[in-house]
Amino acid sequence: MGDTKKGVISRRGLLQAGTAMATVPFLGISAPNVLAQGLSKSPTKVLDFMTNADVDKAKQEGQLVFYCHENEAGTAGIMEGFRKDFPEIKTSYVRAQTGALYSKIIAERSAGRFDVDVIQLSDLAPAFDFQKKGGYEHYVSPETPAYKDDNLSAPHGYFFWTGVDPAGIAYNTDKISAGDAPKNWKDLLNPAWKGKISCKISASGLQFVQWYALRKLYGDGFWKEFAKLQPHAFDSRVQLFDRLAKGDDMLTAIGEYPAYILFKSRGAKVEFVAPPDGMVATPLVVGAVNKAPHPEAAKLFVDWAMSKRGQAWYQTNPNLYYGSVRTDAPPMPTGVKLSDFKLLYPTDWNEYAAQSPAFLKEWNGMLGL
Amino acid sequence: MTAAAANAGPVSAQKLAGYGVAAIAAVLVLYPVFYLFQAAFDVGDPQVRPPTAYGLDNFGNLLHYPQILLNTLTVSFAATVMAVVIGFLMAWILARTNVPGRRVFEQLMTVPYYLTPLLGALAWSMLGSPESGFINQVWRATGASGHIIDINTPYGIAWVMALFEGSVAFVMIAAVMKSMDPSLEEASQIIGASRLRTMLRVTLPLVIPGVLGAAIFVFAEMLGSFAVALVLGSPNRYYVITTAIYQLIQQYPPRIQVSAAMGVSLFAVMFVMLFIYRRIVTGGSYATITGKAFRPRVADVKGLRWVLFGVCVLYVLASVALPVLTLMFASVQKIATAFPAADNFTLSNFHAAMSMNAASSALGNSLILGFATASIGIVLMGLLAWLIYRSRLPGAGLIEYIVMFPQAVPRLVFAFGMMWAWLVFPIPIYGTMWLLLIAYLTVFLPLGVRTIAGVMLQIDKSLEECAQMCGASWGFRTRTVTMPLLLPGLIAAWLLLFIASVRELGASILLMGPHSKVITPAIVESWFGTASELTATLALIQTLVVAAAMVVLVLVTRRLTAEPVD
Amino acid sequence: MAGQPHIEVESLEIFYGKVPAVRGVSFTVQPGEQLTLLGPSGCGKTTTLRAVAGLEQPAAGEIRIGGAPVYSSARKINVPAEKRGLSMVFQSYAIWPHMTVFENVAYGLRVRRTAAAEITEKVHSALDMVQMRDFAARRASQLSGGQQQRVALARAFVFQPSVLLFDEPLSNLDAKLRADMRIELRDLQHRLGITSLYVTHDLEEALAMSDRIVVMRDGLVEQTGTPDEIYRLPRSAFVADFIGSANLIRGRHRPDLGTGDLIALETADGQVMYGMACGRTAGAEIIFSVRTVHLQISGEHPPGDKNVWPVRVEKTVFQGDFSQLHVVWGAQRLIARCAAMEPIAPGSEVFMTVDPRRAVLLGA
Repeated sequence: MGDTKKGVISRRGLLQAGTAMATVPFLGISAPNVLAQGLSKSPTKVLDFMTNADVDKAKQEGQLVFYCHENEAGTAGIMEGFRKDFPEIKTSYVRAQTGALYSKIIAERSAGRFDVDVIQLSDLAPAFDFQKKGGYEHYVSPETPAYKDDNLSAPHGYFFWTGVDPAGIAYNTDKISAGDAPKNWKDLLNPAWKGKISCKISASGLQFVQWYALRKLYGDGFWKEFAKLQPHAFDSRVQLFDRLAKGDDMLTAIGEYPAYILFKSRGAKVEFVAPPDGMVATPLVVGAVNKAPHPEAAKLFVDWAMSKRGQAWYQTNPNLYYGSVRTDAPPMPTGVKLSDFKLLYPTDWNEYAAQSPAFLKEWNGMLGL
Repeated sequence: MTAAAANAGPVSAQKLAGYGVAAIAAVLVLYPVFYLFQAAFDVGDPQVRPPTAYGLDNFGNLLHYPQILLNTLTVSFAATVMAVVIGFLMAWILARTNVPGRRVFEQLMTVPYYLTPLLGALAWSMLGSPESGFINQVWRATGASGHIIDINTPYGIAWVMALFEGSVAFVMIAAVMKSMDPSLEEASQIIGASRLRTMLRVTLPLVIPGVLGAAIFVFAEMLGSFAVALVLGSPNRYYVITTAIYQLIQQYPPRIQVSAAMGVSLFAVMFVMLFIYRRIVTGGSYATITGKAFRPRVADVKGLRWVLFGVCVLYVLASVALPVLTLMFASVQKIATAFPAADNFTLSNFHAAMSMNAASSALGNSLILGFATASIGIVLMGLLAWLIYRSRLPGAGLIEYIVMFPQAVPRLVFAFGMMWAWLVFPIPIYGTMWLLLIAYLTVFLPLGVRTIAGVMLQIDKSLEECAQMCGASWGFRTRTVTMPLLLPGLIAAWLLLFIASVRELGASILLMGPHSKVITPAIVESWFGTASELTATLALIQTLVVAAAMVVLVLVTRRLTAEPVD
Repeated sequence: MAGQPHIEVESLEIFYGKVPAVRGVSFTVQPGEQLTLLGPSGCGKTTTLRAVAGLEQPAAGEIRIGGAPVYSSARKINVPAEKRGLSMVFQSYAIWPHMTVFENVAYGLRVRRTAAAEITEKVHSALDMVQMRDFAARRASQLSGGQQQRVALARAFVFQPSVLLFDEPLSNLDAKLRADMRIELRDLQHRLGITSLYVTHDLEEALAMSDRIVVMRDGLVEQTGTPDEIYRLPRSAFVADFIGSANLIRGRHRPDLGTGDLIALETADGQVMYGMACGRTAGAEIIFSVRTVHLQISGEHPPGDKNVWPVRVEKTVFQGDFSQLHVVWGAQRLIARCAAMEPIAPGSEVFMTVDPRRAVLLGA
């Protein structure tokens, strides 16, 4: 009950991954290349981490194009971290919620456009899909040993978990007293919250995870009851907490811990509840993109992100505050460690991914789309 | 033989310019529309391009979204009614009564348009949110409970739409009032009819066709409105077609086909409305009517003057002063509230806005794009205006239709088609500033051509014909007679295009790429992803830029419309 | 040279969309002559002029300037306006407001790349001729109507075109100015000896200025001739009435009563009038045109008995220099114009007579 569920790379998963490798994806690498890449170079040290990228070449390329699901400040924050360490590489980014971001990159690639170097998603489902389609570059970083298998793609080298975004419940302390506040997920279904509760839009990876996880826990009826509350849906956690802080909403059903920390530090009257049944969390996955315009810079970024210094940046930047899954990661700025939370991950990521159309249909329907 | 040779030379220069520019316009407009229609009729696997099967299923699927269609109609209708009532009232007050300060108010009436509906929506969101809205906070401070206005309702949305997108109703109705021959009313009064009776029996019937035309035009515009519904409607789960399309294509997998079907349906309705409008008002042509402008009789309303003055002030307050002040107020607070504590004030939002890479580069991009769009635009649209309204080349009528086409398509929907169209284009302009430039030039065709045509038509044909009779070739007389006379109008058109491209949202939000961010979508992004105080700051900065351009515009056009001697 | 016409228009047809504006018009203009196209609005005169200028596209016919065709439907020739070497004065003057008076007049010379010194000289002398020399540096938009008209004129002839076209140039001026400008224009045209094609709807203007007049109606030519010919010998009722007021007297031809050049008409109520055939053939039913000014009214029976009748005065209309007398002649009412005289009371019985040479037989 108490421990973190291990991400499942079951025998089935391994077999599937194997077939993925053998498939000729509609873009990019044929099977033999997959094996050839990532094995030849010996790692070099740059700053304080190891990389298989050709650092000089990366600096020559001089650019990195990053697609990210984070809000503006968060994405800019990530780029700022990389740029500080590698000022010769100009960064530029596109940010959109995971669903939109993924649509965009697929549309571009299907039209023969390959403008992206690295992509960060907040949902494993599109990551699997992208891997299947051969969208990721196969690149095994020398930083890989610092991660558990659960937090890496199968096989290694396509994407990794750059952080975890845990979420619980958050409420406005002026509007709701501590006594009335919800203690567990089920308390969300109180009719008193009707029209006063917020959640995220269907393009959000975290929202998908929450839907899946709580459905598994409490059955189909949970979300149908939730729909009766007529929740307000938003794109980003900042919007959710902005409204919470101002009192436009009394509580939010999907309060992300990083956002809570940020707003609390600004003096907002918000409080966080970590439901005993478990917090939902989505992995935030980063991977280099196949046929990138700046391949060495892409690899360098992956190594940087995986490294201790990159992870420290992700953990401490106020716009990010991710929980790191690196085995040697320090606690989060608040002193809390990721393992202190009980996190509800899907047990079977593939089954989870397959539920996506059902989620979209139900969630959109709930919102009136 | 010499006579025949004389036929060939100069005419072909004209024809070349004319048909060349017509071809460019046709490609710009029709190429994306083709892709839009293709997507709407695509019933095959959405991931496979080109489409495998065509059919009407997507339109059938629209019936699963009755609420969205209803919402769109409700909001558009309500907004149109409000806009026309306000427009009529203000037009009456400013054109027919002796309220003091009329000229100033007339100028102020167009300001809300330049402030952009996005800014209006953001400001009114801060003013009228049921919980955190300033007006409601003030209301509660008086001891009452609950809220006095809720801006997130359909009527709230319609209200903001009417305020910021409806000022065109005022312009059109005022024009109708100014073109009315006052002697018609005088005849009625000489016969002995009272002022009220005159207004009901003479004035109103004369004005109604014009008002009706304005209503239809405004309704068509409201159907395609995006920014207000996005900011005020989406939080409350209230979707209209444009915001629904925006959400539907943001997911994975994106609901391209049904979105395209929605877009095409919206386009069809707008097209029909604009067609009706054309028939009613202009008898078939978009050319600005250049008839004599009468000076309508100004009624002395005595004591009512100050009441009406108050009405005008109220309007300016609601549409200009209050929103701008609200944003300014919010931008200097950490967490915006109506009654901030002393420690709530900060300038950090401005720091953040300036240092935010996205914001500063977006602003820079917008300025560059504004210059480029305006400069290329006046050449392209000037040639098109000449081609359609002045040359006698065959096919001019068809070109006019094509040029006015984008008016009938909501920006977002058009951008949707452009996204696909230019994605597959062999030259890689997708995701670059070039794409935005092309998009702007396309969607601003109606605006630019109409403005320049209006100026062009005011130039009496005989001025150019006389140059011809003096022996000047087309090039010579265009350079020495037409262009200098057009110049003030061209400057005005340049400024209009500049402002329009800086404030553009619907197309930009879909077509931006990593290196081509622009300011108005950046404000929306900010609203999504940062605190509203920072968003307010960005919005203010954008407003400053537009305001500066507007001031220049006012100064230039004031010189333009000065009465000529004799 | 003297015999070769300068402008020739042959069977010109012009349509506005489906509506025929000019339905087959032909005329010629001799070198140095002023030919006026005269007619009511909508008769096609301006359209014809603009076609000669090259600003309208005819549907059929031919136009030749100096013998060379500038438009020919048969030979598919259409020389653009700027290449025809003509010049035009517009009804609205078409003065360019963004240029000075000097620049306006100099325009045609600049087009022809004349040297700067020559331009100055020619512009000044042209402005002298229209008495606008002092205004040379003035902004063109600051001139009055009459002044603009003069500048337009100077601009039109400064580059010595072979032909001048005038599109109702005086109709925007007030009556007094119009009368003065008429004479000035006439003098100028004579002095320069330029062939002129002039369009107007004003009868007095046409009569005063033209060498020959073409009367047009509904896209067709009604009559061509000198002012005198048209005035004295109108060919049709329309021309008769358009060129000065005329009484139309209808009746049966009485060949038995005709003597010499005179032919006799008998009205329905038995009155007999003698008039001139003027080379026209008389049918069974004929119409005489008698100008109001040629009907003479007197208290006593004038000498002679041809064309003398007793009439009753119905009313008198005082017009200052003259009076109009409405008289009852048998079953018909006629109008006589008499010089200022003692007022004649309505109901008076007086005598009316007309010189037979003044009663003109109209063509069919």
